[in-house]
Amino acid sequence: MPNLLRLSGAAFGYGGRSIVSEVDLEVHPGDFLGIVGPNGAGKTTLFRGLLGLVPPLAGRVERAGASLGYVPQRESLDPIYPLRLEDVVEMGAYGTLQGTRRLSLAQRLAARAAIERVGLSDKLGAPFAGLSGGQRQRALLARALLCEPNVLLLDEPTSGVDRGAQRRILDLLVELNARDNLAVLIVSHQIGLLREAAREILWVSEGRVERGSTEALLAPERLDRLYASAPAGEDEGLDG
Amino acid sequence: MDDITWVDRIDLFLWPLLSAICAGIVLPMVGSYLFVRRTSFHGIVLPQFAAAGVVFAYAILGWWIETIGLGGLTLDAALHDPHAASTFGLIWGAIFTLGGILMLVTTGQRGGSETARAAAGFAAASAAVLILGRMSPIGRGPVDELLQGEVLGVGVHEFELLATALIVVAAALIWFGRDLLLTSFDRETAVVLGKRATSFEVLFHTLVGLAVAAGTLTLGPILVFGLLVLPPFAARRWARSMPRFVAISAGIGLVSAIAGEAAALEWDLPVGPSVVMASVLLCLPGLIARRGG
Repeated sequence: MPNLLRLSGAAFGYGGRSIVSEVDLEVHPGDFLGIVGPNGAGKTTLFRGLLGLVPPLAGRVERAGASLGYVPQRESLDPIYPLRLEDVVEMGAYGTLQGTRRLSLAQRLAARAAIERVGLSDKLGAPFAGLSGGQRQRALLARALLCEPNVLLLDEPTSGVDRGAQRRILDLLVELNARDNLAVLIVSHQIGLLREAAREILWVSEGRVERGSTEALLAPERLDRLYASAPAGEDEGLDG
Repeated sequence: MDDITWVDRIDLFLWPLLSAICAGIVLPMVGSYLFVRRTSFHGIVLPQFAAAGVVFAYAILGWWIETIGLGGLTLDAALHDPHAASTFGLIWGAIFTLGGILMLVTTGQRGGSETARAAAGFAAASAAVLILGRMSPIGRGPVDELLQGEVLGVGVHEFELLATALIVVAAALIWFGRDLLLTSFDRETAVVLGKRATSFEVLFHTLVGLAVAAGTLTLGPILVFGLLVLPPFAARRWARSMPRFVAISAGIGLVSAIAGEAAALEWDLPVGPSVVMASVLLCLPGLIARRGG
């Protein structure tokens, strides 16, 4: 099976100080990986390293086979921007455009298809900022799909949305993974949802990354042991 | 001016009127981007930095000519040569503006209160303008005119300088608008999509610096910060997409410029503040609609 992403002895950090190190990882088509770990353990740094937002301090990162689709946390996007749903989704095609060149008809149709796929066709023309949290998250997913990715990286896609919206997003990811053989990497604190969807877990703790099956790494007794010493409230969101 | 026809008035003040119209269209375009980046206060602080730069240029002109030289001109010749004096002023205005941007951006990365930083910058730049104005070999008159937004003395050369700078800024905002929008709205996605986000940030701040420096040199800080801040504030209510937001802002700026100039010529008022007041009046429907809605 071809490698989409490959990390060999990679270290990532800031200001020359590594936060996660000695990461060996291969991502293949059809993988569904949850990235989990305590706060401050280096999940976000690893995630940003996978995206190419943080250069490796050591080791190698190969992305030659990967076309990345990125779904950021919706809270990171300022609602002050006057943007409609389709404006945000069409940003997924900006990587192919230079200067004032407009989106081609094929790209516009692909954007409509992506909007339809995430179930937001009835929201066309609506202000992005006026959508609910779950709808905005699905719009960002549609934008990532417009890049025709083979690896989808999502940062806390279900945090702060209601249970129904969480379910729709998760079902969509499972469907994309199963039907299109899309590799999915998802950072989340919501252990319960990851138990349902992720086949494997990247457990990030104390600067090290451990890969294993969801059943083994997210076993309730293991989590109880790991978080037993955490003060109340520190493990908020670990709703397993 | 009751005995002068409107045609005569326009003919007499053609270059100041055209300058204000150019600024009325382009400065709100720049201001639209400042607005969505939540840095509208830059539109208030930076013209003051630019004004300090322009006054600084006048203050050191004599020393500069004596020590470094300015195309072989004497101080007297430089002061009577609009090309030399305004280009020299533009360069120093741009240096001070870019310095102000650099200070606001770099200190902003360390956290803390942006409003307090902007207020401190505004106070420092305002004080510098007044102190440097006293040292200017051309006296306080032109400095006071600059600060009060009295633009009727603008000549063809100042107009050419302003129009060239603003055409460059407008063209760049249109050409790179999509990338500037993406990098400010979602920088990480821009990088993942292969965009050089840092280059676009530098480009944006350079365009702001150029527009503010050229605008302040020609029209004064009041008109510049009025046009950077007010039309986008009025337009946001009515815009549902970024291109429409920029276009409506430019439209409101244009109407403000024309209405303000007409009022200034009719009632013998200073042009800059009149344009700003026209812009304030155009903000009212948006404010009323917001309160009602």
